Amino acid sequence: METPARLRLWTGLVIALAATLMVSLALVMSQVREQVRVIGEEAAPRGVVAADLYFALSDLDAQATRVLLAGDADENAGSRIDALGRYRERGRQVDADLRDLTATDSGVVVELMDGLAVYRQLVGQAQIASDRGYYTQATNVLHQRLLPAAERLLDQSEEDLDRAYEAKQQTESTAAALLVLVGGALVVLLLAQQVWLARRFRRLLNPALLAATGIVMLLIGAATVVLDAQQDRMAAARVEAVAPYLKLSRLRAVSYDAAADTSRYVVSGNLAYYRDDFVAKSACLAGEAVCDFSSATGLASLAGPEAFARWQAYERGHARIVALADQGRTAEAIGALTGIKRGDATFDFAYYDAAVAAVTWRQERDFDAALRSAQTTLTGWVVLPLTGLALVVALALSGVRRRLAEYR
Amino acid sequence: MNKLALLGVLGLALAGCSSPPTPDVERIACAAGSVSGQGSSAQTNVVHAWIMDYQISCADSAISYESVGSGAGVQAFAGGAGDFAGTDAFLSAGDQKKVDARCDGPAVHLPLVVSPVALAYNVAGAEILNLSPAVAAKIFSGAITVWNDPTIVADNKGVALPATRIRPIHRSDNSGTTANFTKFLSTSPEWSFGSGSTWPVKGGAEERGSHRVAAAIARTDGAIGYIEASFARAADLPAAWLGDPSRGFSGPSDYATGRALENASIDEDLRIAMNPSAEGYPLVAVTYEVVCATGTSAAARSFLAYAAGTSGQQTAVSAGYVPLPEALRARVAQVVAGLR
Repeated sequence: METPARLRLWTGLVIALAATLMVSLALVMSQVREQVRVIGEEAAPRGVVAADLYFALSDLDAQATRVLLAGDADENAGSRIDALGRYRERGRQVDADLRDLTATDSGVVVELMDGLAVYRQLVGQAQIASDRGYYTQATNVLHQRLLPAAERLLDQSEEDLDRAYEAKQQTESTAAALLVLVGGALVVLLLAQQVWLARRFRRLLNPALLAATGIVMLLIGAATVVLDAQQDRMAAARVEAVAPYLKLSRLRAVSYDAAADTSRYVVSGNLAYYRDDFVAKSACLAGEAVCDFSSATGLASLAGPEAFARWQAYERGHARIVALADQGRTAEAIGALTGIKRGDATFDFAYYDAAVAAVTWRQERDFDAALRSAQTTLTGWVVLPLTGLALVVALALSGVRRRLAEYR
Repeated sequence: MNKLALLGVLGLALAGCSSPPTPDVERIACAAGSVSGQGSSAQTNVVHAWIMDYQISCADSAISYESVGSGAGVQAFAGGAGDFAGTDAFLSAGDQKKVDARCDGPAVHLPLVVSPVALAYNVAGAEILNLSPAVAAKIFSGAITVWNDPTIVADNKGVALPATRIRPIHRSDNSGTTANFTKFLSTSPEWSFGSGSTWPVKGGAEERGSHRVAAAIARTDGAIGYIEASFARAADLPAAWLGDPSRGFSGPSDYATGRALENASIDEDLRIAMNPSAEGYPLVAVTYEVVCATGTSAAARSFLAYAAGTSGQQTAVSAGYVPLPEALRARVAQVVAGLR
């Protein structure tokens, strides 16, 4: 083959390979960026909404119980108005969560809305009726229909989040293979062309081709670093923020429901079922028993020893209230339930919940920061490979232009 | 869902907490020790919310508040009990002398709790109900007996009011809310019964406590009664807009209440006198904490400083009250900072 033809072949191969590498890299980076967006702005928020719904439903019933517990007594008027306000607030929260989940989970949402209408009707009747039948029915609807449905939504959202991470991982593997195979081939080709030109034209180096090789190696290196960096950040966000946030949200909902059991025990006239239910939920919170929804991971490991110690303080208050109720000292039991002194149930629970809230707040902040960082890292990675391609093409042509001119 | 929506969702999740203080709120300057107060029941809910927040943030503190009523609270304070007293009204000269004696120096008033008093009603078809002080006076004195009376219709043009009988409901017990409401009615020449904490008109339906008045309004067609706005909100009862046709009518919103407070006269002792003819919602109850200018414990000063701070006032909003206008809040905070 004649030298000009060889020169054109070398250049054509370099341009074709560079185009394959850079366009593929731009597409893959664009896909990774979109997948990070899906995780951060769709899958994870959906998990957060589902967890919030589960929590809000648990507390809705806790507040309904507080309203009934306060009754019509003058000394509990403040507690009643506070509970009524929180009951309405939780109702609005549930409605807002259901609205946000309608687009993706319409079937379960409709089921929940139907159950919620029944629940609210029963709670309304319980507030008027003197016997507690409507209340028992309401809390049964919540535990047997609403919470299991909300739990299904939460499970589904966690599975979707896992799938979103897996899809991103696959794209990252594709990107890594592309960089190693096509990128490596392009570098080898550029180096081989450099050697051939040096031998054929007796020149030490072709500066343009050297620059093109440098640009390609720089882009490959930078793309590898960027992919690794965003992968590390998103993986850390998953392991250190989202996953523990969702687990802790479930435990938090369990603790609200357990605390409501203290009130339910007094409201129901010392029904042993609620005392036993509290014991089971406490074991779940302590990590001593497998919860309904997951393996045994207790508050201490998810929210820290301080939060767990505060929960244990609530447990002691619960035991005192149950003992008072069992002795027939119901007014004192209600006083210990609604009081806000240290050692009273309302304060001890709020004190515990503040510790948990501080942890979930940090997890939300960490996830948000990791997402922002990953998105910032990927910024410009659609334009950058295409710019690199233009430069490599220009340099490849420039590197052979004068050699070709020698044959005209 | 965009980024903003994600932040919204996370914010929602935070809002879902049972009012635990989140790490981004104003930090409380804690002081260790016990603090106790007693007095006005009208402020019980917000003081309890403050106590919860303060105790959660300050592990070495123990705060208590006994809701025994303004009069009993002030008398107990004068007798040496507690670190502060809550009162629905500025102290009389006689009471001021007693508390000054207890303090071995002047006692100061801190207006810390603001709550509009709502005229809640249950009237078919009336989404908004405008009432002037004169019409309210006629309703509660029994001079007007049906909702479509021409004097009510005149203030509510375009609203089809029913011929339902008006059923006014008042408090049967002594209350600061009654005192504030009768004071408001006294601004009209149509009201000849004076003002005070006991309802002065004979007859009519009565209930003990705001929660029972709210429940009675909710179950009675044609009812109207005066309750703290937080009770009306909790029971989802509509509240009448007060004012007159010339300057307009306002509902018991945070904004309208704030405007009324901005237009109130406030003397150098922080005594607040509402101006019923000025812009804003005119029926506002202000509760004061009475505290010694010197000799107040560091823990009590810290607790009151939190209550007068932006965090404390935000907590008041969560508890159904209205925050102090910023200028007034800053004045109160300055007085608290000057306590020794």
